[in-house]
Amino acid sequence: MNFVTLAIKNLFRRRGRTSLTIFGVAIAVAVLFSLLSFNSGYEKQLSGELDSMGIHILAVPKGCPYEAASLIIHGGVIPKYLSNSDVEEAKKIDGIEVASPMLLHQFYKDEKPHIVYGINIDDMRRLKAWWKVEGRFFSQTEDNVMVIGRSLAENEKLKVGDVLPFGPDKIPFTIVGILERTGTQDDEFHFLPLQVAQRIFGKPDQITTIAIRVKDISQISVISKELENIPDVQVVTMTQVMGTIMNLVGSARTLLVSVIIVAIIISVLGIMNTLLMSVNERTSEFGMMKAIGASGLDIGRLVLIETLFITVIGGVIGLLFSALGSGLIEGFVKGIIPYSPAGKLMTPDPGLIGLCLLFSIIIGFVCGIYPAIRSSRLTPMEAIRSNLE
Amino acid sequence: MKEEVILANELTKIYHRGSEDIYALKDVSFAIGKGEFAAIVGPSGSGKTTLLNLLGCLDTPTQGSLRLNGIEVNGLKERDLVKLRRENIGFVFQQFFLLPTLTVRENIELPLLFNKRNGYKSNIDDIIEIVGLESRAEHLPGQLSGGEMQRVAIGRALINEPKIILADEPTGNLDSATALRIFQLFQNLNSQGLTLIIVTHNLELAKSAHKVIQLKDGEIARKISSRGLLKKARS
Repeated sequence: MNFVTLAIKNLFRRRGRTSLTIFGVAIAVAVLFSLLSFNSGYEKQLSGELDSMGIHILAVPKGCPYEAASLIIHGGVIPKYLSNSDVEEAKKIDGIEVASPMLLHQFYKDEKPHIVYGINIDDMRRLKAWWKVEGRFFSQTEDNVMVIGRSLAENEKLKVGDVLPFGPDKIPFTIVGILERTGTQDDEFHFLPLQVAQRIFGKPDQITTIAIRVKDISQISVISKELENIPDVQVVTMTQVMGTIMNLVGSARTLLVSVIIVAIIISVLGIMNTLLMSVNERTSEFGMMKAIGASGLDIGRLVLIETLFITVIGGVIGLLFSALGSGLIEGFVKGIIPYSPAGKLMTPDPGLIGLCLLFSIIIGFVCGIYPAIRSSRLTPMEAIRSNLE
Repeated sequence: MKEEVILANELTKIYHRGSEDIYALKDVSFAIGKGEFAAIVGPSGSGKTTLLNLLGCLDTPTQGSLRLNGIEVNGLKERDLVKLRRENIGFVFQQFFLLPTLTVRENIELPLLFNKRNGYKSNIDDIIEIVGLESRAEHLPGQLSGGEMQRVAIGRALINEPKIILADEPTGNLDSATALRIFQLFQNLNSQGLTLIIVTHNLELAKSAHKVIQLKDGEIARKISSRGLLKKARS
């Protein structure tokens, strides 16, 4: 027998209370892990999403606020347009590798929003070299063809070769390709040749944005300034887009963090209260242990081991909770923040798991140290006799 | 006089309550020789617990001196008191204080957890045999009778091979037949040379003692031999 087995056996004596305390810790750790995991996943996924666009700069119509520019990458539609001539101007600027015009259009089907991208396929494939397709990409000169994202194909049960009525006039369009899963917003979109999109949505010569990749990223600010010399063009860099989105979600995150901090404080106080009750109930037992040779340090160590057991087991269970419930939590949080990237935001990051386990150990120390000190200072015989008289 | 394992000289213990000094023990002096069996008797509040506290190195006297196995207790640091207690004293309590989730064997073994010397592991079976619990070694306290539980507590007190057993009302919770068997166990241990100090209200147990220390209001009312006590009980 050693201190650990003795501590475990002691915890089994009060199964109900031990389980409830472990449950309390589990909830605190689950909440913490979910928040941190969501937070780091959000930034990582957002940054990944922006990277995956292969774009350094978005040229948008003048007067288009950053928020609207942020929405563009999510498929949002703004009521201002650039023209094809702006694209030609942009392409003349030195240092631009690709300048790809896009027209975005949104329509609703069965109350669900659908996003259509009119694109220049050759430019787009240069921007997104990783795109792979089942079937084939369309050529820029084809008419009434489209490529769709993988999630869209699955949700709508569409396959290569299907023909579907499309646009305000319900023109039959053939799906020539379905993108292999990218894990980004692209999985949800319809892609059409730009001029076809302009025609069927009645936006001839109009484009929503020009996606630009530069040859040398150190030249982004120089090129941005040159772009802004084009009348009607306003420039938004991806860094600004990311900052804008992070600001948009910032207040929602602050609220979440506040709620979580309060939840953790309540949980810690609850655990400490339970441990103090347990120590008070065992006054005579600790007195006996001192009488048979335990030092104050031994008693304190026993109480601390018991506490750490509770909090570490609670921590592990909390991590399992959040792993199992990550879908629910993610769905809930995505519902209350204004913008969220596609893909799974909460992923099991080993560093974060370690951090949460460390947190549960710290809770153990914080909650256990006071009861441990109290129990170690008990005067043995009074403790024993107090039970008798 | 046999070699003295306990030598108390004018032991005084004062507790302070506000500006008032309360004398729990006042000028208590006695000696207990090696292998002696002493009983401490007296009414509630007479200072028995305080004296047991001091003899068990669970507290130190305010004045006076206490030598335990030749070592002066007064002035020792907590760490040294723990060491002295571990190496010299075994405690037996009225309410047994067995840990309910530990088996008989584990309860007896418990003091070894705190004793860094840890050299007595092989004694466990011998001690289980001495206290007559061979067939109950793997049982939990909840499956034992009161007498058996007290035997476990005595076994636990013996595991560190103490020189002195301090027992606080060891038969207080037992019926008379069981109490008698526990007496006999104590007598057997004493006959093997162990020093026994028992706080008791039980005159039957006290009469078996070589020496009876009767306390009243924190002072020794009288020190009498068991023969004297027997006469007193009969009169």
